[in-house]
This record gives sequence, structure tokens and C-alpha cells, in this order.
Amino acid sequence: MTAALTSPGHRPVADIATVLARWFLGGVFIYLGLNKALHPVEFLKLVRQYDVIEHHFLLNLIASALPWFEVFCGLFLILGLAVRGAAVMLVSLLVAFTVLILRRALAMQETSGLPLCAIKFDCGCGAGEVLICRKLIENGLLAIFATGLAFWRSGRFSLRHSIFSAESPSNGRVSRDDSSNH
Amino acid sequence: MRNTKAVALEALLVAAVGLVLSLAANALSPRGLRLSRDYFPKAERWSGTVSNSTNSQDRTGHSLPVGDSLEATRLRLQQRGLQFVASNNVVEWFRDPRYEQGLVVFVDARDDSHYQAGHIPGAWQFDHYRAENFLAAVLPVCLSAQTVVIYCTGGACEDSEFAAVMLRDAGVPRENLFVYVGGVTEWMTNGLPIETGARQSGQLLNSKP
Repeated sequence: MTAALTSPGHRPVADIATVLARWFLGGVFIYLGLNKALHPVEFLKLVRQYDVIEHHFLLNLIASALPWFEVFCGLFLILGLAVRGAAVMLVSLLVAFTVLILRRALAMQETSGLPLCAIKFDCGCGAGEVLICRKLIENGLLAIFATGLAFWRSGRFSLRHSIFSAESPSNGRVSRDDSSNH
Repeated sequence: MRNTKAVALEALLVAAVGLVLSLAANALSPRGLRLSRDYFPKAERWSGTVSNSTNSQDRTGHSLPVGDSLEATRLRLQQRGLQFVASNNVVEWFRDPRYEQGLVVFVDARDDSHYQAGHIPGAWQFDHYRAENFLAAVLPVCLSAQTVVIYCTGGACEDSEFAAVMLRDAGVPRENLFVYVGGVTEWMTNGLPIETGARQSGQLLNSKP
């Protein structure tokens, strides 16, 4: 593995940065997901406050599955398992969360007359009550990280970086055919 | 193109496997939710408005002026066919000899940690989200009482309303059920006694106004 990191024509700095980004993003989602998964009733109430889902089964499904789903996506990233698929899923979630949070914050702004960046509420993001502007920026940064992971193919420290493309089992790097694509 | 397809397929696989694992984790977790259960019984969307409520937000968790929030909750209760009770009545009932006889019953609709941290002395806990843990003890007490006062944190908190609906559906006469809108927050603000720990623990505190 060490040899592969320093092999000619390889980009060790970019690879290490990708691994760190993976671990960082994975860690963040495991932390936020567990915070919600350990308090599912609180999360259920917060999901309900968005007034998006009426049916109790769907509401329960989201409140029970979403936190654990974040945890498992985080684990996939840390273990290096289906990294690009997990990253795509996290980008999708982050975009959806951001739209919902912004929509609710704008509604609150309209009612309260407060500036958007003074609006503060528990968005159900796993970090308690937060200033919404700050949360939107955080989500944007996490989405950038996740998008980077979805595009950048580096198999360093990965169990199986890509499920549907061949990898070298010795160092986790993508095969020559795949590597030629980027 | 082939690469994009592979990533899309991988994302779908992650979604499918992740969903299965997530549902399994929820099912195995002692705190997990039951998918088929309606945790917000008969909670029709509230369509009322509150006058002079420029800073009011219903159920948002956002900081609210107390007066507007209470008024909003009172209106919502009326729409849901529940009776509300004000602080002065609650204090009267708390000091009523019938309270000692079990004819007036207080029910705390909050979760364990909040209940343990401080509740109205002698109140029974009924966290309706975990009804199976409490109903067997609380229901007979409520059925034999003349007056049942249900409260939660107060303000925009709706847990007391859902608990009241659940008790009503379980057979407690509607006319005996009262939701204390101000909740434990108002109780403490009024400097009334608070019991910590378990029910009848004897650990009483005088809350400071």
C-alpha cells in the first residue's frame, strides 16, 4: 500500500486528501446520524414540523430510517465501500435537506420579520438548535465534499471503492481501463 | 456514459442496502419507532390564526412570545375538541383534598429524562410515544378519577394533547380530561413545588419564579 502511494505517475497528495475527506465526511454523518437515531421520538417530532408528510407511516419510515441511513452511508465512506454511490446518496440527501430547511426558514422569516440569518431553530440535523445561515453554509460545504468524492476515484484504504468496476485487490486502485476515464 | 451508469447503479444499491440495514437497526433498537403506529393521533392540521402574532410560529420550536404561543395552543385545543385549564384552576385542584384521594389526577406527558428532572408532585408519567410502558399503570388511575389534568412543557408543546386523545380513546371520559396549557414551565414560573426522580420520591423542590 505504501509502495502504491509513492509509485510513479500516481498522485499521493490527492489520494491522501480524498481519504481524509472520506473519513471526515463519514465521521460527520455517523455523528449526526447517531444523534438522531438515539432520540428517534425527538427526530420524529422535528420531521413532522416541516409539514411535508402527512401520512403517519411515511413519517415514521423517514424518522426511523433516515438517521440510520446516514450512519451506514458514513460507515461506507470510512470503510471505502461503494464510495461513489454513498457520496451520491449523501449529496442527494444534503440537497433535499437544504431545500427543506431554507423553505421553512423563509416561512419563519416572513412571519417574524427577522433577517434570515437571525432565524434559529432545531432543523432535525442532529446538532440541536442552530442559526440557519450557518447550517446552510455547512450543508453546502458537506455537499461539495460529497460531490468531490462522487467524482474523484481513489481507492486508497478502501475495501471496495467501486462495486461495479474492476479494482486491483492489492492496493484498491481502480484498474487501468477505469483509470483511463479520469 | 458507462461510468455514470455504474455510479448511478451503485447509488441505487447503496440506497437499497442502506434502507434495509436502517430498518433492521430501527427494529433492533430498544428506542426504535413502530412504523405502523400513529404517534400523533387525530392531530388534524391546525388552521387557526392568532391575532397580533407577528412573532408567533406554531410547532416550529422557534422562540415564541409566551402569550401568543399559549393563545395559539388554546385555540388548537378547542378545534380538537379538548378542554384546556388555566393555572389558577390547576393550583386549586392540586390543593384540593380530592387530589390525595386520587379523584384528581395529574399526568405528565413528557419523556423520562424530563419527568425525572422535575414534575408536579404526585403526577403520573404517561409518555404516549412509549404508551406500552405506561398505559397499564396510568389508565386505571385515570378511569377512577373525576378530574385528569394532563400537561407537558407548555407553550407550543403538543404532547399533552396527544396523550389526552390517547386516554380519551382508551375510555377516559372526555369531560374529565383537561389539558394544562401552561405546562410545567408555567408551574415552575409560579414558584410551585416540583418533585424530582420517581413519582412520590419525596424529593421536593420549590421552583423559583
